Amino acid sequence: MDISRRKFLKIGAAAGGSAACAVAAKAEARNARQPEPQWYGMLNDSTRCIGCKACMVACKKENKLEAESTLGEKEALGEQLYDAPRALSEHTYTLIKMHGEGEQEKTFVKAQCMHCVDPACASACIVGALKKEDNGAVKYDAGMCMGCRYCMVACPYSVPQFEWHRAIPSIRKCTLCSETRLEKGKPTACAGVCPAGAITFGRRSELIKIARARIDAAPEIYLDHIYGEQEVGGTGVLYLTKKYVAFAGLGLGDFDYKPVSGLTESIQHRIFQYFIPPIAVYSILGGIMAYNQRRKHNAGIEGGDDEY
Amino acid sequence: MNIKALPLRHRFWTPNVAVLLFFMASGVVFAYFRFFHGFASVTNLNPAYPFGIWIAFDVACGVALAAGGFTTAAIVEIFGRHKYHALVRPAILTAFIGYFLVGLAVFFDLGKYYNIWHALVYWNGTSVLFEVAWCVMLYLTVLAIENLPNVIEQFRGKVALPGFLSGLNGPTDWLLGKADGFCRRTMAFFVIAGVVLSFGHQSSLGTMMLIAPYKLHELWYTPLSPLLFLTSAVSVGIPMVVFEGTLAAKFFGRKPETELLAGIAKYIPLFLGTYLLLRLGDLAYRGVLATAFDGSLQGNAFLLEFALFAVPYFVLKRRRSRQNPTLLFLCSLSVICAVVLNRFNVFLIGMDMGPEYSYFPSVGEWAITFAFIAFGVLLYKIGVNYLPILEEEH
Repeated sequence: MDISRRKFLKIGAAAGGSAACAVAAKAEARNARQPEPQWYGMLNDSTRCIGCKACMVACKKENKLEAESTLGEKEALGEQLYDAPRALSEHTYTLIKMHGEGEQEKTFVKAQCMHCVDPACASACIVGALKKEDNGAVKYDAGMCMGCRYCMVACPYSVPQFEWHRAIPSIRKCTLCSETRLEKGKPTACAGVCPAGAITFGRRSELIKIARARIDAAPEIYLDHIYGEQEVGGTGVLYLTKKYVAFAGLGLGDFDYKPVSGLTESIQHRIFQYFIPPIAVYSILGGIMAYNQRRKHNAGIEGGDDEY
Repeated sequence: MNIKALPLRHRFWTPNVAVLLFFMASGVVFAYFRFFHGFASVTNLNPAYPFGIWIAFDVACGVALAAGGFTTAAIVEIFGRHKYHALVRPAILTAFIGYFLVGLAVFFDLGKYYNIWHALVYWNGTSVLFEVAWCVMLYLTVLAIENLPNVIEQFRGKVALPGFLSGLNGPTDWLLGKADGFCRRTMAFFVIAGVVLSFGHQSSLGTMMLIAPYKLHELWYTPLSPLLFLTSAVSVGIPMVVFEGTLAAKFFGRKPETELLAGIAKYIPLFLGTYLLLRLGDLAYRGVLATAFDGSLQGNAFLLEFALFAVPYFVLKRRRSRQNPTLLFLCSLSVICAVVLNRFNVFLIGMDMGPEYSYFPSVGEWAITFAFIAFGVLLYKIGVNYLPILEEEH
C-alpha cells in the first residue's frame, strides 16, 4: 500500500506538474496590434467643451434613440419630456458629464465607445460579433450575438450596454456612425454639430498630430499627454485635458499601455498551443491507466487479490 | 468487486418530490417574465454587473461542483483504485446532471438564447468563453456516453415499449447491443477524454475574468488563476462525492458508505494542500496578502473563503476525523462552500465596475437558481430509482 501510494503521488505530481507548466509558464507577450493609417477616430478636447450636449442630441437623432429621463414622466405622461441620461445606456451612446469635485474647476467631458486599436470586447466575444472594421470603427453584429454580455465584462471603459428591458435583447453602443455617415464620406454626427470645436473627426494618425500641435501651441492650457495614444494599446477616440486636471478625474482610467486581453489571450494560447498540452496530459493519463490495468491483469493471472 | 448496482425502485411520489416540484414551478413563473419581458423584469443585473448569480452560481459553481465526476473517474479508472468503484456511477451521473443544468442555465442567461448554436459555427479563438463552451459541450457528450452503460445494463434484452411502439422493441434492442459493444471497446478513451476536457474548461473558467484587470480585485486577479480554478475543482470533487453519498444514504434510507467514503477522503487533504500551497504562494509572490486584512468586503470575503478551505485541510489530515461520518460530512460541506464562495468572489464580489451600481440577486434570480437545484435533485432521484447506479448494500 505504501509503495503504491508513493507511486500515486509521484505520478500525480508529474501529471499535475506538466499541466501547471502549460498553464503557468510565463505568458508570452503577444505582438501588440498596431493602428492602421486609414482608421478614423475622434479627438475630444475637454478644454474646449462647453457642455451644451448638442453632440448627445445629434447622436440620438442619428441613431434614432429613445429619450431618457430621471424624472419618471414616462409613467405619468406617457412620454419623456426631458432627455436626462445619467450614464451610458442602450438609449445613450454618448454622454457629456461634468467632473470636478467641490471647489475644483469644472470640466465637461464626453464619453462614448473608444473604438480601441485592440478591442477587449472583440477578443472576448465568443462568436466574433464585435469586430474592428477597416475604417477603424468597432462594429457590433446583432445577428451573430448570443447575448452573453462577456464584452461588458471585458471592456475597461464599460461601454457596451445591454437592452435589459427587451425580451430579445442586443448589445448597443456607439458605432462611430460607421454605416450611417462614414461610408457616405461624412464625419460622425456628434463631431458635425459641436459648436465649440471640442470634437474633431478625422484619421487617427492626423488627430494625434493635431493634438500634439495644440499641446505645443498652448502648454499653459494643456496637460502634455494625449489620452488614448497608448492606453490599453491605443484607442480610436483621443482626449486632451486641462493642465491641472488628471484624466483619471474625468473617468478615463489610468490604464497600462498594453491591451487588457493580453493575459487571457496568452494563457489561452499557451494551454492550446498546437494542442500539445492537452495531448500531453492525455498521453500521460493514458499511460498511467494502461500501466494500472496491466498490473491488475497480471495480479489476476497470478491469482492475486483484486484489491492490490 | 462483484457487487452489482441496481435501480432503487423506491416509491417515486414522496413529499420531498412535491417540495422539489414547488421550487421548479416557482422558477417557471419567473422564467416566463425573463423570456417574455426582458431581464429587467426579473433580475437586478445592471450595466456594471452584467454577470449575476446565474453565471456565478449556476454556471461557475455548477461546473466546479460537478468535478466529482472526473476526479472519481480518474482515481478509480485511471489510477486504478478499484475499491472505490461503487462511487463512480453516482459521481458520473451527478456530473452529467450538473453539466446538463449548466447548459440549461446558460440558455436562461443568454440574451439571444436561440443563437446558442453559433458557438459551433462562428469561432473566435481569442475568446476564453469559446474554449469553455466547447469543452463543456464535448464533456457533456462524454458524460452521456459514460452513463450509457447504465442504461444498456438496465434495458438490454428487456425492451418493452408500450402500445404501438412495441414494434420498435427489436430495433431498440439491437441498437442497445451495438451501443454496448461501442462502449466496451471505447470507454477507456472517453474516461481519459473526460478528465482532459475537465482540465481544459475548469482552468479556462479561471482565465475568464482575467480579461478585466481594472475590475477584478487583486486578491483574485492572478495569472495563476486557471491553475487555482483547476486545483480547487479537483479539491471539491471528493467532498461532493461525500456530500451526495451521505445525503443519498439519508434520504433513500440506505446504510451509509462510511468506510468507503472515509477511505477516498484521504485524497482530500492531498488535493487541498496542493491548492492552498499554490494559493498562498501566489499571494505572497505578488505581495498582496496585506489587502486581505484591510477590513473591506473583498478582504473579509477572501478571509472567509480561505478559512473554509484551510480548516478541512487540517481536520481531514487526521485519519480519525476522516472516519467520523459527521466530521467528514461537515468538512466536505466546508470545502464545497469554500469553492462556491471562491467562484462568487471572482465573478461577483471581487468585481468592482464603478461606484454607480451595486448588485444583489433578486427574488426571481434566486427562484430560478433554486429551481435548477431542485431539478437536479429530481433528476438524480429519477436516475438512481430507475437505473443501476447505486450498488447493493453489503
